[in-house]
Amino acid sequence: MHRVLLPFEFFEPTTVNEVLELLDGEKTKVLAGGLDLVLDSRLRKIGLNKVISLQKIPDLDYVKYDPENGLSFGAMATMRQIEQFPAVKKKWQSLYEGIHTIVSVQTKIMGTAVGNICVGTPVSDIAPPLFTLGAKVKIIGKNGEKTVPIESFFVDLGKTILEPHEIVTEISVPEQATGTGSAFMKLGKTAEDIAKINVAVTVNLKDGICQKAKIALGAVAATPIRATEAEEAVKGLELDDRCIEKAAEAAAERVKPITDVRSTAQYRKEMVKVLVRDSFKLAIARASE
Amino acid sequence: MTQELHSVGKSKIKRDSAPKLTGKALFTADMKMPDMLEGRIFRSTEAHANIVKIDTSKAKALPGVMAVVTHDDVPKRPFTRSTMAEGLPSFAYEEEVLDQYILSEKSRYVGDWIAAVAAVDVYTAEKALDLITVEYEKLTAVYDPFEASKPKGPIIHESAKDNIASAMEHPFNCGEVEKGLEEADVVVELTGKNSRQKHCHLEPDSALASWGTDGRLTMISPSQGAHMAKKHFAKIFDLPEKNIRWISPDIGGGFGARLALGVEPVAAFLARVTAKPVRVTTTREEDFAGWGGRTEQHQTMKLGAKKDGSLTALDLKIVSDSGAYFSHSGTTSAVNMQHTLGLFRCPNVHGELKVVYTNTPIASGFRGYGNVEGAFVLQQGMDMLAEKANMDPIDFRMKNIKEVGEPSFFIPVPLDHCALKECIARGAEKIGWQEKWKGWNIKKEGRYRTGIGMSVMNHASGAGGFLLEHSSAIIKLNEDGSAVLTVSPCEMGQGILCALSQIAADTIGIDFEDVQVVTGDTDVTLFDIGSHASRSTLVIGNAVVDAGNKIKAILLESAAEKLQKKGVEELDVSDGKVFVKASPESFVEVKEIAFEAIYNYTDSGAHISATGSYLSTSHNPSFQAGFAEVEVDTETGQVNILRIVLAHDIGKAINPLQVEGQLEGGAAQAIGLALYEDFVVDTQNGHTLSDSFSTYKIPSTLDMPPIDIILVEDPAPAGPFGAKGVGEPGMVNITPSIANAIYDAVGVRIETMPLSPEKILAALKAKN
Amino acid sequence: MGKEIADFIINGTKYEEIIEPHMLLVDVIRDKIGLTGTKIACWAGDCGACTVLIDGLPILSCLTLAVTAKGKNITTVEGLADGHELHPIQKAYEEKGGVQCGYCSPGMLMSTKYLLDENPNPTREEIGEALAGNLCRCTGYVKIVDSVEYAAEIMEKGGTKQ
Repeated sequence: MHRVLLPFEFFEPTTVNEVLELLDGEKTKVLAGGLDLVLDSRLRKIGLNKVISLQKIPDLDYVKYDPENGLSFGAMATMRQIEQFPAVKKKWQSLYEGIHTIVSVQTKIMGTAVGNICVGTPVSDIAPPLFTLGAKVKIIGKNGEKTVPIESFFVDLGKTILEPHEIVTEISVPEQATGTGSAFMKLGKTAEDIAKINVAVTVNLKDGICQKAKIALGAVAATPIRATEAEEAVKGLELDDRCIEKAAEAAAERVKPITDVRSTAQYRKEMVKVLVRDSFKLAIARASE
Repeated sequence: MTQELHSVGKSKIKRDSAPKLTGKALFTADMKMPDMLEGRIFRSTEAHANIVKIDTSKAKALPGVMAVVTHDDVPKRPFTRSTMAEGLPSFAYEEEVLDQYILSEKSRYVGDWIAAVAAVDVYTAEKALDLITVEYEKLTAVYDPFEASKPKGPIIHESAKDNIASAMEHPFNCGEVEKGLEEADVVVELTGKNSRQKHCHLEPDSALASWGTDGRLTMISPSQGAHMAKKHFAKIFDLPEKNIRWISPDIGGGFGARLALGVEPVAAFLARVTAKPVRVTTTREEDFAGWGGRTEQHQTMKLGAKKDGSLTALDLKIVSDSGAYFSHSGTTSAVNMQHTLGLFRCPNVHGELKVVYTNTPIASGFRGYGNVEGAFVLQQGMDMLAEKANMDPIDFRMKNIKEVGEPSFFIPVPLDHCALKECIARGAEKIGWQEKWKGWNIKKEGRYRTGIGMSVMNHASGAGGFLLEHSSAIIKLNEDGSAVLTVSPCEMGQGILCALSQIAADTIGIDFEDVQVVTGDTDVTLFDIGSHASRSTLVIGNAVVDAGNKIKAILLESAAEKLQKKGVEELDVSDGKVFVKASPESFVEVKEIAFEAIYNYTDSGAHISATGSYLSTSHNPSFQAGFAEVEVDTETGQVNILRIVLAHDIGKAINPLQVEGQLEGGAAQAIGLALYEDFVVDTQNGHTLSDSFSTYKIPSTLDMPPIDIILVEDPAPAGPFGAKGVGEPGMVNITPSIANAIYDAVGVRIETMPLSPEKILAALKAKN
Repeated sequence: MGKEIADFIINGTKYEEIIEPHMLLVDVIRDKIGLTGTKIACWAGDCGACTVLIDGLPILSCLTLAVTAKGKNITTVEGLADGHELHPIQKAYEEKGGVQCGYCSPGMLMSTKYLLDENPNPTREEIGEALAGNLCRCTGYVKIVDSVEYAAEIMEKGGTKQ
């Protein structure tokens, strides 16, 4: 157990290209907000030879919106910036709620959304919303640039598709079609807590009929997951209570959560049903506004 | 004669606030000494193992490392972590449990201290830790007291057969419990267990030790009882007590944790070996996996009562988990019996306890000290009896509350004060008991169901008659009429120094602003067992009153002479003036008397001063009624506390703001204990899983329900200005009243704390 | 490896220190510069005790590499009072019982300052939200919220209140 870090080389490039040149191997990490990097290094969960700071690179901390391209935020955009961006609360309610349940102001001010995603944890509070809002992740590496759906960004517990020579520069979320509503819910022991489980639902309605539904679940698998069977079950249907109930059951049916210091497998499984159902209802109400 | 109070009863601002708010207050890890080294402890990674070999050679060779020590180097005098042992009478135990060394010879839990490093800075010290290698011979580990006490199992300490560290009967067993149960019209049996709640004092443990050229050790640490810690140390280091000086800096929370030795022995040992001051620091993870926490008490209780509600039998059996070493687990279990079995009137009472070692982090004493653990079981048992007798829970308790004159709990001196009935009445009104409690087994509908519950308690204001409850105070009057008060509680932020100053001011008759306090240095202060058992206001307060009265007597005598009055009864002191009661315009100022006492060229010149003392021979319990209203979400099992009401029999609130602060703070800790504080050890390998504020949750601002505090001020004869204790009571009624409220809401009871949503939901499903 | 001389501007004063990249800001402030008002309670960003203001924003200094704070305007608890005159926020905490052991107080004050800078008239709910990242084990928060409410009142009235 340690209270200080071990030494490493530190770089503060001013362009993304410089970052790419410096990236080389497992013990080289990128510093955005630093919340996870510093902690994991102190706990000796990771070894650090090289730390490359993104903090001096201009124009990475943007949050922008336009009706054509939707919402996008850069690698250094903090969760607080996104939370306070007016369009987010209005149009991407689940993303707003996901960030809002991170109640520590300091954490939101320091922590970047991209950094949160890059940790690759299934308990991220912004991953389920982004999973259900069609988010895409822009990755830049030595071999060029690519954009992937956020679902494929997560590979396993603590592991993303990022290669050692790559970084994420942006996450974008498309404009929401009319008739769309979303909701996020989370259970924790206290208000300031990592999720026992969290759930996000986005639903698109036309004339009361579900055109499309997306359901994402966190903390019930090694990565955040989409409840695709439940999503299929409601497509094209009028979403009455029974229908929602069945979708929620289907979502709960498929999960195999674990028991850990935060909760039990049994409880998590049962709560998937409750939260999916409740989130669905809220998303539908918002879609109908 | 009611004295006009100028300080007592007012919410005076405590003087340590401003230094803390400006960052000027110095806590142990803020302090530096010239030539100081940084110390860090090497902890084992095995739950139960013999240490075959420790290789410290590489660590020692690292430049900047001044010492690396192991068990081989430390004094071979075993000790108990608890410093409270110094205040216990000898009949309390057959023998003291001396079961640990400064550094352990064997690893008995993951995190056991087996080596230590002193280096020029913390970076070097931690590098050195990483260079220490240990060869372990793994042994089978046991993680719960029932498993551990099975015969022929792994032995954790050679001295403890079947790993039983201690066992005793309740010293005040009476009557025949089996007969009492037979005579009862209603009988219940229940089990209950508290979690091993971690203190989570925000200041991590640290200590700064240095040895003078005169061979005296100066120790700076957040101990809650420096005089006792000093005595303890004298034994460990085989030092005459005169060679130890213990200094108390500002302390970042105690809650009972600091009644056990933390890193002080390691700091002192490293300081001796290196002949330099050494500051040992710890991390939050090390605290979680370390040497303190509420002792987990597995309790089985049987209660019997007549159908009119009067108790006929109380039987309590406790099996406690000490963790790897013995600290306060015996005393907290014993105190559980004392409070739990002594609160109500009952002719047949029996209690027994057993404390068992396990290969888990050390358990100790936490605010409430057994009473919290026992009330969880007793107060639910009372409700269960009330249900069977079909009585309102309040009425049922009222039948059994002791009256003044009956034997007090534990030390059976006659109870001389009890305002519990008023607490119940006022608390019940505040929460709306009449309207909200509708009867037993009322069917409630809907997803969200509300319920109401209550609990009553008593708690010691110092363990008078049992512990060495003796305190002293010195007051001197300066030439300007100001006073300096020297006392030795433990100021951890509760405001005790402020309260004692207020008591001094009104006893003498001077302004609060004219009282300075000296504390925190065992060379200066008189012997005191420190702050715990909610004792400081009453016991130390009475010592201050004694000293203050002596000062006042001197003033009255001097003034009588000056004012040419025959008798001192004609005079009084107030506002810094000694005045004639019948004609107050005739007075002499305190400062004039004080000045002339010093600036006196005759042989009667002297600085006015007095020493006062007080020996408490009774626990002088405070009482309290607690109420909780909750809303249970039957689909998630989550409990939302709608309101808490605590009505406390304080006697007299010396400083109402601080008294409320103790009750609110205690309530917050108890809410955490009730609903989500759970200390989890991995039983595969003994690793502490609850090792951070992320994995072990304590309340934040957003988790606090509305809390109403009612201070019932009916002066207690034994208390200074009628005051009784309040440091711990805020914690006791919370968990049982929440548990009883949950039962009222949804008809389930949970045996083990925390009353988590997982458990509640499972219980609801089982019920249906 | 990587030693450099760095400037830290704390409470308006420039301090020059030799640092290495792996040093935490909180350790540089406390041990090198010697401003021990900022506390460390968890080293994990969970408790907020180490909160300082950097360019006016509340930052967890236990999770901040000192090297990233060079040249920025850092405010610690020592920077609140004006000489011997307590800041209204400090006065309010004193008077309303918002400080017991005091270990959480420096961080709590920094978060309070940030709140009142952004929102001079917060509701009790907003106060609770603003301080949710600052743990206190002593007070149960009741009097902390009272203190912040009172601080807002004093500051609105323009400074000191009798």
